[in-house]
Amino acid sequence: MIYRLWYFIRETVVSLWRNLSLTLAAILTVGISLSLVGTSILVREGADRATAQFQEGVEFIVFMNADHTPDQDVAIRQVLDTSPAIAQYTYIDKMAAYEEFQVLFVDKPELIESVTPDVMPPSYRIVPADPDAANVAELARQFSSQPGVREVATATDAIRQIEDFSTRVSQVLLVAAVVLVVVSAMLILNTVFTAIGARREEIEVMKLVGATNWFVRIPFMLEGTIHGLIGAALAIPCLFVVENQVLSFFQESDVVPLFRGFAVPDGFVWDTSLWLLLLGGTVGMLGSAVAVTRYLDV
Amino acid sequence: MIRLESVSKVFKGDVTALRDASAEIQRGEFVFLVGPSGSGKSTFIRLLNREEVADSGRIMVAGKDLGSLSSWRVPYLRRNIGCIFQDYKLLSKKTVFENVAFGLEVIGRPRQVIRRQVPAILELVGLSRKADRTPDELSGGEQQRVSIARAFVNRPLILLADEPTGNLDPATSVGIMRLLDRINRSGTTVVMATHDRGVVDTMRRRVIELDRGVIVRDESRGVYD
Repeated sequence: MIYRLWYFIRETVVSLWRNLSLTLAAILTVGISLSLVGTSILVREGADRATAQFQEGVEFIVFMNADHTPDQDVAIRQVLDTSPAIAQYTYIDKMAAYEEFQVLFVDKPELIESVTPDVMPPSYRIVPADPDAANVAELARQFSSQPGVREVATATDAIRQIEDFSTRVSQVLLVAAVVLVVVSAMLILNTVFTAIGARREEIEVMKLVGATNWFVRIPFMLEGTIHGLIGAALAIPCLFVVENQVLSFFQESDVVPLFRGFAVPDGFVWDTSLWLLLLGGTVGMLGSAVAVTRYLDV
Repeated sequence: MIRLESVSKVFKGDVTALRDASAEIQRGEFVFLVGPSGSGKSTFIRLLNREEVADSGRIMVAGKDLGSLSSWRVPYLRRNIGCIFQDYKLLSKKTVFENVAFGLEVIGRPRQVIRRQVPAILELVGLSRKADRTPDELSGGEQQRVSIARAFVNRPLILLADEPTGNLDPATSVGIMRLLDRINRSGTTVVMATHDRGVVDTMRRRVIELDRGVIVRDESRGVYD
């Protein structure tokens, strides 16, 4: 049994080596396509988290006029404190708003110089009891008609933007990935077919002396599976690059502060990696299975 | 050991390779198949190890009905049948030893068995001292001996030979025939398709003559024509 295993491994390695250029092409294609699959999954997950955690459940923000009266503040607070539709709220005063403004536009000092705490609109960041979009829109409409209110910004717009963005990005990536996965399966099929062609004589002799079909097939199927697995292994570092460079770019970006929640934990990247290995191995095995059943029929 | 009952085989384009052929070959017999090119000798051989399947009739080999043999059992049938050919079918990148060992390796024989049986069979065919050569370093006769060693190393019940002396000069052919005779005397049934008048006339064994797919003669201790 161990001897037989050794035979399969030896034959597979010899065949991989003999066919090096096609082997590399197949492996790289698998690697690229699985990188795209993985990136698509990460973007999707990042967006889910970003929208789920968006400013700790804050769905809309009521901006007051900078020159609103204390009476108007009291009236607003009265509503906020008593309405069952409001779960929680935070008051951002002029000073706090100014500080945040300084952080947001740290790279634009001329903009910061042009404003003073005095002109900053204080705001209420509000967590509604029911985060449903229609409900939030209704609440926003009610608050915007209150005296002293400058405008109401609903977070649902932002959430929708993020979702749109990530859906589009991940869909485009996924379509490209699916095409490439098919391409890599065909490349593996071709590589294995070439490997079969290179060993026609050996296969003929094997059949002649009574080797079983599986004995003939296994080295070729192993070869295809290894293409898939190595390709997937190449895609895994790409996932970490995507996580560290691309997603963290969004997190640190001041230009698109909405994306700040855009992060996935390391554990999720590892889970995705496992799925990619599984997918790569399966694609390789299927590609080579088609090759051996079509060209090795006994 | 081998029985054909009204076997016919027609290839595409209405080429009749074998028509209503019946024959019975006993264990331990040595049979020559003779006839002009295209008379169906090779088809006869290929039907016996199920490289081809008969269109009608029944073929029994080593107790198995080939018509109803499921394809996954074919390899096990072939382990009982050794084959040699005019073009030897040796693997050029492997040494003599490896070529013979390959036949055992791919049917899952353990390494100890290979290490014991391969030298013994190379001794039998007289190539012990050339075990490390590759086929292109050998003469035609020596290459055919390697192929016989590979076919016989597993001690098959039947040895099928398709024009084994076709590429060899008469003197070398005599050596190959001595070897096949020796294998036959050890109890292996030998079926050999040939054009080689000298070989058939010298051996005086059973002769089955085919003409356009029909068995026209079947005599024991026969001659070429």
